[in-house]
Amino acid sequence: MAVSETIEVRGHILDSLVLAKILDLIVDAGADYCLLDLDVGRSNANPSVARLAVTAADEAALARLLAELHPHGAAPVDAADATLEPAPADGVLPAGFYATTNLPTSVRAGGRWIDVGRPEMDCALVVDVGRSTAAAVPMHRVAAGDPVLVGIGGVRVRPREKPRGARAFEFMTSEVSAEKPKGLLVARVAERMRAAREAGGRLLVVPGPAVIHTGAGAHLAALVRGGWVDALFTGNGFATHDIEASLLGTSLGVPVDGGIGGEDPAANHLRAINEVRRWGSIGAGVEAGRLRDGVMFECVRRGVPFVLGGSVRDDGPLPDVVTDVVAAQDRMRTHLDGVRLALMLASTLHAVAVGNLLAAEVEIYCIDINQAVVTKLADRGTSQALGIVTDVGLFVRELAEALGA
Amino acid sequence: MSALAWGRRYLLCPPDHYEVAYEINPWMHRDVSVDADAARRQWDGLVTALAEAGAAVELIEPVAGLPDMVFTANGAAVDGWRCVQSRFLHPERGPEAEHFGRWFADHGYEIRHLPPTAHLEGAGDVLPFGRRLLGGYRSRSDFAGQTALAQLLDLEVLPVELVDPRFYHLDLSFCPLDDRRALVVPEAWDRYGRQVVEALVPEPIVLEPDEAASFCANAVVVGSTVLLPASTSRLDGVLRGLGFDVGVVPVGEFLKAGGGVRCLTLALDVSLAETAS
Repeated sequence: MAVSETIEVRGHILDSLVLAKILDLIVDAGADYCLLDLDVGRSNANPSVARLAVTAADEAALARLLAELHPHGAAPVDAADATLEPAPADGVLPAGFYATTNLPTSVRAGGRWIDVGRPEMDCALVVDVGRSTAAAVPMHRVAAGDPVLVGIGGVRVRPREKPRGARAFEFMTSEVSAEKPKGLLVARVAERMRAAREAGGRLLVVPGPAVIHTGAGAHLAALVRGGWVDALFTGNGFATHDIEASLLGTSLGVPVDGGIGGEDPAANHLRAINEVRRWGSIGAGVEAGRLRDGVMFECVRRGVPFVLGGSVRDDGPLPDVVTDVVAAQDRMRTHLDGVRLALMLASTLHAVAVGNLLAAEVEIYCIDINQAVVTKLADRGTSQALGIVTDVGLFVRELAEALGA
Repeated sequence: MSALAWGRRYLLCPPDHYEVAYEINPWMHRDVSVDADAARRQWDGLVTALAEAGAAVELIEPVAGLPDMVFTANGAAVDGWRCVQSRFLHPERGPEAEHFGRWFADHGYEIRHLPPTAHLEGAGDVLPFGRRLLGGYRSRSDFAGQTALAQLLDLEVLPVELVDPRFYHLDLSFCPLDDRRALVVPEAWDRYGRQVVEALVPEPIVLEPDEAASFCANAVVVGSTVLLPASTSRLDGVLRGLGFDVGVVPVGEFLKAGGGVRCLTLALDVSLAETAS
């Protein structure tokens, strides 16, 4: 993870070539610099002052470089502690609060740098100096009196490296492309999932109803069964169609594997919802042996946590749906620790919602027939998402095959 | 071309307590014993040579337990009546700074102090050339010391990095001869330092490796007389060709501690600020 530090050197640094030497040392070390400020002495006797932002590959490289620069008079600009102010009321931030990005962030408090636990965009930073912790906290979760960071002093945000998956996709000139061989893309995503898993990371899947409509439900279920899904975030629609397909063989009334779908198929999804409401919950239906296959069934059986977030368009909804959207966000946050890779499968609103919650370090692959979804994600700050424009049904089937699920 | 405007008044310290008691440079070896009588004779010879060349000599009282006080060049950086008290890198020489500071205060100099973390070993690492000071750093003095010096004296200091441990002070690799010439030992500096000196000194006289290693640059210049701890026929010829009188002052007992003629003297008549104004 690239890290930066602002350094300053003052003295007769121009004619003595000391500044030139410092710049050369930075470049020779494989680091980068940005000259922020150069105040040239008015006369020969007046010293000059240069301020540089130095960026190195990681903390260790930066520390080595700073140690190398120090004998030549270049020293980090004395960083001041961040300013903290108590939140005036529950759910209300002090004026001038610092709004977070999803990038790795450190806060200087108590004279040292504290890493923000799990970066999340559009939050406030609550800093516990005593415990040396800093957390990105959404507005509604801030309690009166919480020490909230205000202003931008004492904050260090590290720019995103090339996404870890980027190398796999280097042949793509754009981040979204419909013009690429899909088989190759599927193989690369499978490879990244294996790598994330081997690195001890968890895999998150955010599927939309089209996964079921396109007949890929069974393949996604196979991925869950095969252990390739550690958390699943979706809405009422996806879960309903998955259960509808299991109970009635249709998705929104349309048969998913042939057949005619019975009488009044247009109401099948309502019948499915009604069944689950009768059971009390999806889990209760699985336990009672009423729900015997499908993605939701596999999640329940394998203990894969899922969050169904509600919306104003929902029918029913299923009893498992969290209809308070803010509560749904919070429920999702509880399952994000350790997530290294997320698959957004033909889901627009949930993909954007989950993208908002994910740190920039999480690899995101967004599979959609419509490239607008990826654009939407990127426009909202989830710039690390890589898009694959294709039919999600075919993609999930091939992915399941590639992973041997 | 004009002769140096300084170099006619020096502070020296009699070698009463001089010995090689520790090793803080590659020349020092504790198993090499100093002949105290020879050292005294050589030091007296230096005083005589300075006087004969037309320089005035002032003395500071030697202090027992501070054998290197004899190397007065490191005692302070002087400009006019302003004096920047040294701070030595090695604790062995640390206490010298105050003794020199007291001498300068007693003689009416205005004492200026370095910030607590900076090191500067006096004129050993700071030599005037024209209206500027050339400063050596990263051996004994540090960048902070040179920067502080510039600030305290309001003078331009060009710090050059010393990279050869044999030439641990600037005065082992640089000796101004007049306003256009200097004896130089480029291998003592990093490539940036070499460029800086190249730009600073119009006619550098580059010493041969054996001349550099025999401390030829650690010389003093009194008007048109150059007093060196050693010379070669080549260097003699060059200097004489430029109109200098050459005097070799044997100080072999002091070379055992890594110091030559310049190290044993501190010029008291450098006055760049006045020249500049």
